Amino acid sequence: MTATSAPTAATRTRDLFLIGNTTDELGGVTAWTHQMARLFTAAGHRVHVIGVYEHELKMPLPADPGYRITALYPSHPPSPRTLRGTARLNPAARRREARRIDGRRQASALLSSLFREAGPGAVAIVTQVWPMEWIRAADTAGVRLIGMSHESYAYTRACHRYRSVKRDYPHVDRWVALTQEDADDWIADGLNNVGAMPNALAHLPAVPSPRTENVVCSIGRLADQKGVDMLLDTWAEVAPDRPDWRLHLYGAGPDEAELKARCARLGLDRSVEWRGRTDDVQGALAGSSVFVQSSRGEGFPLALMEAMANAVPCAAFDCAPGVREIVRDGEDGLLAPVGDVDALADRLLRLTGNRRMRDTMGERARENVQRFSQEKVLGMWEDLFALLER
Amino acid sequence: MSTRTGAAPAELFDVSVVVDCPAGTDPAALRATVASVTAQTLVGTEAVLVGDGAAQAGGADLAADQPHRVRVADAPRGTYVLPLTPGERLERDACRNLYAAARRTGADLVAGRWTRKAATGTKEHAPAWQAGLYRRSRVLTDVAEAPELVTRDALEAGYCVRRTLLDAVRGAGDAGAAPARTDTPHRGAAPPAPPPRAAYGPSRRGCPDGFASALAAARIALVPNLITTGRAATDPLRGLPEAVGAQRRALAALDDPELRGRRAHAFLVDHVLPCARAFLGTTRRERTERAAAYAQLLDGLVRDDALHDLAPLERIAVRLLADGDADGVLAAAYALEHPGTVVTPLVRDGGRVHWSPLRDGADYDVTELGHQHRALGSLHLLNRVTRCAREGGKLVVEGEVAVPFALLDGTDTGPRLVTAGLALTPRGTGSGERGDGGRATFPVDDLRLKPDAVAWRADLPLTRDLRPRGIGDRVWDARLLLGIDGERLPALRLFAEKETVPGREAALPARPRLTRLTADTWQPYVTAGHHLALALLPRRRPARLTDRATRYVLTFRPARAVKRTWRRLRKTYERLNSQRVKLRVYRKLLLRLPVSRGTVVFESHMGKGYSDSPRAVHEELMARRRGVRAVWSYATSPAGFPKDAKLVRRWSWRYLWALARAEWWVDNQGFPHALDKPKHTTYLQTWHGSAYKRMGNDEIRHKTQNAPQRAKLARAIDRFDHFLVRSEHDVNTLARAYRIPEDRLLRIGYPRNDRLVAARARDEREGRFPRPALAADLGIPDHRTVVLYAPTFRGSPTSGTGTSTRAGSQLPLDVQAFAEEFGDTHILLVRAHYTQTATLPLTPPGTVIDVSAHHDVSELLCLTDVLITDYSSIMFDYALLDRPLIHFTPDLDTYVRERGSYFDLRERAGGPVVDTQHELHRTLAGIKQADGDWQKARREFAATFGTYDDGGAARAVVDALFTRKAGGRP
Repeated sequence: MTATSAPTAATRTRDLFLIGNTTDELGGVTAWTHQMARLFTAAGHRVHVIGVYEHELKMPLPADPGYRITALYPSHPPSPRTLRGTARLNPAARRREARRIDGRRQASALLSSLFREAGPGAVAIVTQVWPMEWIRAADTAGVRLIGMSHESYAYTRACHRYRSVKRDYPHVDRWVALTQEDADDWIADGLNNVGAMPNALAHLPAVPSPRTENVVCSIGRLADQKGVDMLLDTWAEVAPDRPDWRLHLYGAGPDEAELKARCARLGLDRSVEWRGRTDDVQGALAGSSVFVQSSRGEGFPLALMEAMANAVPCAAFDCAPGVREIVRDGEDGLLAPVGDVDALADRLLRLTGNRRMRDTMGERARENVQRFSQEKVLGMWEDLFALLER
Repeated sequence: MSTRTGAAPAELFDVSVVVDCPAGTDPAALRATVASVTAQTLVGTEAVLVGDGAAQAGGADLAADQPHRVRVADAPRGTYVLPLTPGERLERDACRNLYAAARRTGADLVAGRWTRKAATGTKEHAPAWQAGLYRRSRVLTDVAEAPELVTRDALEAGYCVRRTLLDAVRGAGDAGAAPARTDTPHRGAAPPAPPPRAAYGPSRRGCPDGFASALAAARIALVPNLITTGRAATDPLRGLPEAVGAQRRALAALDDPELRGRRAHAFLVDHVLPCARAFLGTTRRERTERAAAYAQLLDGLVRDDALHDLAPLERIAVRLLADGDADGVLAAAYALEHPGTVVTPLVRDGGRVHWSPLRDGADYDVTELGHQHRALGSLHLLNRVTRCAREGGKLVVEGEVAVPFALLDGTDTGPRLVTAGLALTPRGTGSGERGDGGRATFPVDDLRLKPDAVAWRADLPLTRDLRPRGIGDRVWDARLLLGIDGERLPALRLFAEKETVPGREAALPARPRLTRLTADTWQPYVTAGHHLALALLPRRRPARLTDRATRYVLTFRPARAVKRTWRRLRKTYERLNSQRVKLRVYRKLLLRLPVSRGTVVFESHMGKGYSDSPRAVHEELMARRRGVRAVWSYATSPAGFPKDAKLVRRWSWRYLWALARAEWWVDNQGFPHALDKPKHTTYLQTWHGSAYKRMGNDEIRHKTQNAPQRAKLARAIDRFDHFLVRSEHDVNTLARAYRIPEDRLLRIGYPRNDRLVAARARDEREGRFPRPALAADLGIPDHRTVVLYAPTFRGSPTSGTGTSTRAGSQLPLDVQAFAEEFGDTHILLVRAHYTQTATLPLTPPGTVIDVSAHHDVSELLCLTDVLITDYSSIMFDYALLDRPLIHFTPDLDTYVRERGSYFDLRERAGGPVVDTQHELHRTLAGIKQADGDWQKARREFAATFGTYDDGGAARAVVDALFTRKAGGRP
C-alpha cells in the first residue's frame, strides 16, 4: 500500500493536460495549475497547460517554464447568443453565430489533435467547468478525463456552475473534490465517480514566524466573500480587551472604501492597519503572531495553510469542509461557527491572551500542515492516475 | 500501484464478483448481472459464476464471450471479493469506488448503499436506515460504531471483503465455530491459515458471509456510494421463515448485549411487522396456516424489551402474530393501515384500556391511542363484511361492527336505540360523506345487538332502486351509517376480503338513466384498500360496443389534437399568471398608476388572518369614519375578515393593483419583498413582537448570506416609513438589527395591546369574571383555571427518537401527562406558532383545546389565567396583563447557543423558568402561593419591555398618520 508512503518520482511517464479557462489569468486556479505543472514536470511527466484563451491581466511566468502552454483562442471567445424572434432574420447576427460555431469547431479540432498526439496513459485534468464545452466536442479516445472542483460543494451548489457540473461531469473518469466531505456531498447529490484531492502547500519556509509581535493578521481580497466586515465586528469586541494588540489587514478590493468607513464608525482606527496588497506573504506572517480568517465561503484556503506553515496559529470561521480539513479545531488552531462573531472574538481573545497556547498551536500547525506538502499531494495524484488505469 | 511491484504478492484481479446462481436461475437475469460486471470502470474486475444453476443459465456462453473476465465454477482470484445475486446489477463505478476506499483506508471490508425493487411497479428504493449509516465516508475499527451494519440487513449486498479474510471466515464457519475477531489488521500480517482454494459455493451453514466478515474485520470502511441495484423485492409474508433463520444465526454470533438488543428490535420492525401487515391480503386458510406456523417459528425471538419499544398498535400486531392469532393479526393490520380505527371491543380496566376482553395483558395496553376520549361522532369502528351474495334480484350484504367499551351493554342505561343505513356514493364526484349529490341510502332493518358488536344485514334492490347516470359514476363506495341513541357515528367503510365477495355470481343487472348502452351490470368487488365497492360495467353486447366506440372517439386523432391544444392554452394561461410576469407588470406598469386617495392596504402575518396590530388600526380607523377605503389581503380563505373591507387574495392581480395604488400600507411582517413601494405610498410597519432571539443583521444566518441576498433584505426594510416600537429595548434590538433610522421609529406601542391594557384595568376594577365571550365559545367553564401554552416557532421540528415508527409528539410539552394531572381543575389551550402546526394527542374531552386556528392571540391572552411559554414574544405582550406566567424551556441553553439572545432570560424573566415537565407541574400547582414573590419582577419586566404600551396606541397611530395634519387627506 502506498497511501502513506509517497513516491518521489513518477513510476511512469505520462502525457498530462491541465485544462482551464485561461493560460495565465491572475488567480487562484491558474496559480494552482502552474504549481502542479511544475511539480508534474519535475516528476518526469510531459505536461501541457491548455487554456481557452490568453488573459489580458497576466500573471508573471518564466520565459521557458519547461512545459507547453497553448491557448485555444487568442482572446476571449464570443459568447453564444441564441437567435430569437426577429433576430433570426438578421443576416449579420446569423453570420456572427456561424463564425462562433466554426471557431468552436476549430478549437475542438485543435484539442482533438493534441489528444491524439499523446501516448498511452495520458490524462487530462480539467480544472474549471467552462472548458468542458470544447472537450465535449473533441475526440478524447485514449485520454482519461479528471474534472476538478476548486470550491466547496455548498458554494458550487449555490451558483450557476452547479448545472454545468451535473450535466458534464457524471461521465468523466473521475470528478475530484477538495475534501472527502465535499466528495460525500457530491455523491449524495447523485454523482458516483467522485474522489477527493487536497491542494498542495506551495513551500515550507525555512524559518517560522518568531511570534513576537502583538499583531493579528488577515490576508485576503477586500470583497464580500472574505467577510472582512464580520472581522471588523469581531475586532470591535476584541480590541477593548487587548489594547496592546493590532490588527493588520492585507489585501485590496472593491469594498475597500466601505470597509474603511465601517472601521472608522466602529472606532477601530487606532488598532487596525490597512496594509494594502502584498506579494510578501512570508514577511507579513513573520511579523504577526495570530492569523484570522473570516470568510463566508472558501474552498481549500491556501492562506490558512501558509500561515500554519509559518507556525502562526489560526482562528477561522468554519465555513467549508476545506477549513475543517486543514485546521484541527483545538489542536492546531481554533474554529468558530460561520457568522458567529461572538465565537470568533472568543477564539481571538483566547489566542491573544495565552502565549503558551500560541506557541504550542503554532508549532503543531507547522508540523501538521505538512501532510499537504507537494510530495504528499503528488503521491496522491500518482495513486489516482494508477487507480484510473486499473 | 506499487502492489504490483512491492513485496506483497500481486493478485490477478482487484475485485472478484462472485455471482451465486441457485438452480433455476433465469438466464436473462444472469446475463444482465454479468454485463454490469464487465462494464465496470475498474478494469481489474472479474465475474466468477458459482452454484448449481450457473451452467444451466448459460454461464458457459457468458464465459466464452469474455474468457479473461468471466469464469464458471472457479476460485476467485481478486484481492477483494464482492458477492452478487443474479438479477442484481452493479453501478458502473461501484468496484472502482469500493477499491479506492479500500486502498485509501486499508479496510478489510468496504460497504455502500444498495436499492431494492418495490413489490409492484418498476421503482427501486433503499431502506430508510441506510441514510444515516452511509451519510459520510468513515472508517470503523469496531462494528459497534455503526451497529446497523449487523443489526439490519446492511451486509446482504453492496459490499466487498478482502479475500484472505473471507477465506478465514468461511474456514471457521465450516469448522462449525463462530469466527473469532482478529485483532491485528490483515494488511501486512499473515492471514490466519486460509483453507485451500476451492470454488466458492453458496453461503453454507453458519452466518452469511457479510455479517461474519464484519464481525471479524479489523477495519471497515463505509462509503456513501450506491453499489448494487435491482435487488429482488422482499415478500414479507412468505419470506419470514428465511428471515427467522438469519436472525437465529446472527444472534448466535453476536456477543454484545447492546447489539443483540438492537438486532432483536430491528428484526421486529423489518420482518415481523411487515409480515403482520401483509395479513390484510390473505385468504382465511392461508392466514390460519401461516399464523400457526409462524407462532412456532418466532418462539423466543420476540423479546419483551424490543416489543415495548414499538408503538402500541405495532406492538399488538407483533404480539398477536407471535401468539398465532390469525384473525387478531388481521384486525391489527387493518388498524395499522387505517390509523384511528377501533377494530376490537376494547375494554376498560381501571384507568387503562386493553385490546379486547381476551387480550388484556400489559402487552395489549392501548391507553396511549386515546380511543377512550373519543366522542361517538368521531369513533371510527371496524365494520367487517361477513357475507355478500345475490338473493332473488337483491344484493344481500351482512356484516358486523366491533363496539368498544361495551357501549351497547344497556344494563345500567337501559336498552340502546341503534339505527343503521347503508349509503352508496359515486366515487370522484366530490359528494363524499357530506351532501347528497348522487348518494343513495338503503335502510338496514335487520340489526342484532350484542354487548360488543352489532351484526347487520342489508338487502339492496340495486336494479330497481339505484339509478346511476351511467357516465361519470362508474364506481360506488358503500358505507354504513350507524346511529346510537340518535347520535351519528362517522360513516363506516365496509372492510371486505376477496373470498367473501363472489365474482360474477353476485352481479346484478343495472339500469342507468342514460340507457343500458352505457353500462348494464352492477358488480360488487373489493378495492385495493380492502373495502367493498360496486362497479358499473358494460357486460352485454350493446354496452360493450358503445364502450368501445366511446373509447375510440376519446382517443382518435382529432380528440388528441383538442387535448393538446387545451393543454397548451392552460400552460399559456398559467405562464401569464406566474409570479414572474406579475412582478414585471407590477414594476413596469402598475407602479405608474395614480394614487387612490384614502386607500389603505392591510395585511397581518402574510395574509394569515384578520388579527394583530393591523386589525386594531383598522378598527380604530373605521370607528373614526375618516372616509378611508380599507383593503385586506388574505392568504387562503376570506373567512373571518370584516365585511366593510375589500378583500384581495395575496399575490392576485387585484392585490397588486391595490398595493400599487394605495395611499397607505399597513402590515406587521412585510409585504412581499420583491414588491417595491410606490412613490405616493406611506408604509406603516407595526411589527409583530419584541425580540428575545437575535433578529435581522444580528442573526448568524443573515451574516453568512452573500451580498446580493443581504442587499435584498435591506431594500425590503428600506420601504418602511414608520416602524412601531414598544420600548427602548425594541429601539436597541429590532431597530438596530434591521438598520431602521431613528426618524422612522414611532414610540407609540402596539395597537393590538390596547385590548390587554384595557383588560388589566377591568381586572382591577371589577375582577376577572365574567370571562370574555370567547370563553363560552370555546366551552370553558368558569371554575377551571385557563392555562395557555404558546411555544415559539422552531425552525427545525423536534426530531423523533428511536428507529421505530412511534410518532413522537411535536410539542415539547407532554399534553397527555398534563391533562392527567390537571385535567379536573385546569383547561389547557394550546397555540402553536402561526407558521407551524402541531397535532395534539387525544385527551379527555374538555381538558385540552387546540386554539392554533384562532388568529387573534390578544383575545386568547385576555381569558388566560396562567401562560406557559418559552421564548415566544408573546411573553412581552402578556406581561401587560400582570398575570402569572411560567417559562417552560427544556432547551434554553441550546436555543440561546444556536440563535443567540438579547438578554438573559433566567435573570430578567417575570416568572419562574423551569426545564422539566415535572418541575413545571410542581410550579403550576403552587403558582397561587408563589405569585406574590414574582409580582415585582413581572411589573419591572412589563415596564422595561412595554414602556409605550399605554392603551392608546391605535388612537395615537391614527392621529400621527391618518389625519390631515399628519399629511393624510381624509
